Amino acid sequence: MNYETIVIGAGLAGMLAALVRAERGERVMMLAKGHGSTHWAAGCLDLLADADDPLGAINQLVQARPAHPYALAGVAALEQALARVRGVAEAAGYPLVGNAGRNLLMPTALGALRPTAFVPATMVNGEARQLGDGRPILIAGLHELRDFFPPLIAANLRAQGYAAEGVYLELPPVERSHDFNPVVMARLFERPAFRAEIGRQLATLVRKGGYARVGLPAVLGLYNAVEVVRELQALTGALIFEIPTLPTSVPGMRLFHAFEQALTKAGARIQIGGWVLRGEGSGSHLHAVFSEAASREQRHMARRWVLATGGIMGGGLRAEHTGVISETALGLPVRTPSGRSDWFQARFLDEAGHPVFRAGIAVDAQLRPLDAADQIVYTNVAVVGSALADCDPIREGCLEGIALATGFAAGQL
Amino acid sequence: MRTIETDVLVIGGGATGTGCARDLAMRGMRTILVEKGDLTHGTTGRYHGLLHSGGRYVTKDPQSATECARENVVLRKIMPHCLEDTSGFFVTTPWDDPAYGDVFVKNCRLTGVPVQEISVQAMLRREPVLNPRISRVFEVMDGSADSFLATRSTALSAEEYGAQIWTYHHVVDLVREGDRVTGAVVEDLRNGERIGILCACVLNAAGAWAGKIASMAGVTVTVLPGKGTMVAMNHRMLNTVVNRCKLPDDGDIIVPIHTVAVIGTTDVHVPDPDVYGIEPDEIQFMLAEGDKLIPGFSQYRALRAWAGVRPLYKDRDVANDRDIPRTFKLLDHAERDGVEGMLSIVGGKWTTYRLMAEESVDALAKRLGNTRPCRTAEEPLPLPPTEHQTTFRPPVRTTGPGASVAAEVEALQHAPLYWLGKHLAEVEREQSFADLICECEMASRSRVLAAIDAGAKNLDDIRRDVRMGMGPCQGGWCIYRTTALLFERRGQDGLSQANSNDALLHFLQARWKGLVPVLWGDQLRQARLDELIYVGVLGADRLRPIAEQGGGLVTDNPAVATEYVKA
Repeated sequence: MNYETIVIGAGLAGMLAALVRAERGERVMMLAKGHGSTHWAAGCLDLLADADDPLGAINQLVQARPAHPYALAGVAALEQALARVRGVAEAAGYPLVGNAGRNLLMPTALGALRPTAFVPATMVNGEARQLGDGRPILIAGLHELRDFFPPLIAANLRAQGYAAEGVYLELPPVERSHDFNPVVMARLFERPAFRAEIGRQLATLVRKGGYARVGLPAVLGLYNAVEVVRELQALTGALIFEIPTLPTSVPGMRLFHAFEQALTKAGARIQIGGWVLRGEGSGSHLHAVFSEAASREQRHMARRWVLATGGIMGGGLRAEHTGVISETALGLPVRTPSGRSDWFQARFLDEAGHPVFRAGIAVDAQLRPLDAADQIVYTNVAVVGSALADCDPIREGCLEGIALATGFAAGQL
Repeated sequence: MRTIETDVLVIGGGATGTGCARDLAMRGMRTILVEKGDLTHGTTGRYHGLLHSGGRYVTKDPQSATECARENVVLRKIMPHCLEDTSGFFVTTPWDDPAYGDVFVKNCRLTGVPVQEISVQAMLRREPVLNPRISRVFEVMDGSADSFLATRSTALSAEEYGAQIWTYHHVVDLVREGDRVTGAVVEDLRNGERIGILCACVLNAAGAWAGKIASMAGVTVTVLPGKGTMVAMNHRMLNTVVNRCKLPDDGDIIVPIHTVAVIGTTDVHVPDPDVYGIEPDEIQFMLAEGDKLIPGFSQYRALRAWAGVRPLYKDRDVANDRDIPRTFKLLDHAERDGVEGMLSIVGGKWTTYRLMAEESVDALAKRLGNTRPCRTAEEPLPLPPTEHQTTFRPPVRTTGPGASVAAEVEALQHAPLYWLGKHLAEVEREQSFADLICECEMASRSRVLAAIDAGAKNLDDIRRDVRMGMGPCQGGWCIYRTTALLFERRGQDGLSQANSNDALLHFLQARWKGLVPVLWGDQLRQARLDELIYVGVLGADRLRPIAEQGGGLVTDNPAVATEYVKA
């Protein structure tokens, strides 16, 4: 089959690019090796961490750093992207709440407060300004879930002035022993009897302790989390909020599912499990890519391509011990900050971030990949998301923001 | 200042010092051991884990070879739970002098190192990844050793016999009255308290730091710290120790240990055992040498690199550093320097630690009028609480030079030898697979809690006990989990949430230090995921204002910080 656009990669950037193009009536396929960072991250939309007003700060950033992905995509693309992604989430019954002009401060599974711009409605009751109203907060988890520890979360919140206490609930009866990872827990919360029993235990605790808010691990169902939260609120009389756990990220999976629904509705095809290993082009035109799945090579043809394979974490970029960093799908030239000896800071959590993670593909204003001499490599390829150079999305706290802004921009081209 | 009296003060909590403390206590001498870090904080915890057959020393250092061969058998009897009977090969690759094989065998016979030549076909059947261009193969009784567990077990035995083991106690000064050392002043690094220790004798077993200790008594002991760098690969691509059949050199040995294979080592003299780095060239060199033994070795995922400092003792009469033997030496400072009340035990190998302890304690016992015999070679070590009381006995080796010893060891019916499937078998037996805190190393919640209850002073101590954080993800999940468990378990006795935060931040940084030299490919990808988890999900970087050393945890003290100057 001949596609008008093939998007390589299934993270937020790829999904939004695929959706926008499919909604324009194109035949679109999203082809990916596996899931993107949705499944690993907190499931919120980080736009820029160290700013009270992320949008305002991004407006300044695009002036100061013209090669930054935000500058390439443009602030308007970011704003439209946010509107679109919120529409996608809303349509799936999983609204995202927030404001690009004001960061929320959300409690983490360590009890730290982390800034982010938009959170699912299931988390918003945990926002720090609400938590600070002085009324008692309960953080509750289950021993069986090793990715969420209420006593430490509560103690760290108390150290920051919030009246939190931590408690473990009893696991409601389940028919067999599980490995209680977040996904298994989320599936259990899909069961009415399971969550009713959790609600009963919480109601008793709330009655005794007078808690106004209850924080729970972000495992309250895979497909109907808003409903689960509403139900638990009705049972307990307290405001319920989710806190992201260690990966796998259930909130991220919900976002993925929301996009999956939207893409299916828009007629796009999704193929996950196909690892793009090389491209085939003539001159500056990319004709086809070859993917490997189940030991079989497949050739895919399209008129236009969006490369959304991620950075070093996503596998879109790969570093060798020789100090060479390569782009794994099409072999595009990669801007590498400097030699291997300068890739890392001495401190893991150094505020400046590690220079190696600023490696990426340089692009022009239409997101087309450039070589070392700033010549366009392929005119029909747009590069989006964490594969782009000159940005450290994790340390700058803009992982979702640049994915959405550039993904949307690639959809518009 | 509080003052305590004892018979013997042992300085150094590595294999040697701990072995000395056990021997002293078993002979009824009152003993205190001080170690500035955790047990095995120095060189013992930073070696490749080889239980020497002696083969590496048969030509250059025959005395060491003989000692290793004898102690190899003794250790199998007293600490089977710490040893894996991997067996070992010395192989002649196309890069090695083919004539050395015959010299090697002759010298094995002369030094009492059991050896048996096998065919290259037999070698490839057992280890198919080895280079098929290898021309000769000699099998020896090499094994791999968990030096953390061995030292813990030794310390536990010492304590059972009444010794006091003080970790995180730093020697501030030795007290000298005239020509006699009468004790020491030590500092408890957890709270800064200084304690005076009066003793009949100080036993300096500080390894690479022995020169620093001796100088506090005005005595010169020249220990040349020889840095050895090692790289752990994330695959145990072979199950037999493999050495190049040549004189010992850099990057010529691969040791399969637990779930990984370690290639070692370099040998670089460093001026100070506390200040050294790992150079990128060292790593590249060793990976390239690995390719000669196992084609494609350098393409496996490297997990981590680290370095330890060998305590090479330079005698006054040795002119050239290259001639320094690997054997050990007991220095009686009364005879040597006219200073009474102190002995130093220097040099040596992990494999010979027990013998070093025996000779040191023999000399000390004579001095103190104690005539009880050494029993450390006969009595097996106890199992620490972090160990499963396993019942499964792995199959006993029936071929090769180690077969008769294996049968002899098995007949004792002490604890079973360690084997790779041990932890998995126990997890299956206990049905604890849903309660693993560190999935990579299969450390269950109960073992982590046992390590905490046994007094681990920070996450690094817990790591040494149960190997949490040592697998491919380098702590991505288990650092958070272990921190939370530490807080839950010790929150009642003075460990605050701020102390727990500090423990987490400290351990993240400790892992990073060993990762940087090998960050490329999948391991770099992993490090980036760990950054997403700790920054993007958990916000650990935002805990700094509410993180503080304390609560009995030692997370940041210059006395125990090894400074990697470059990475």
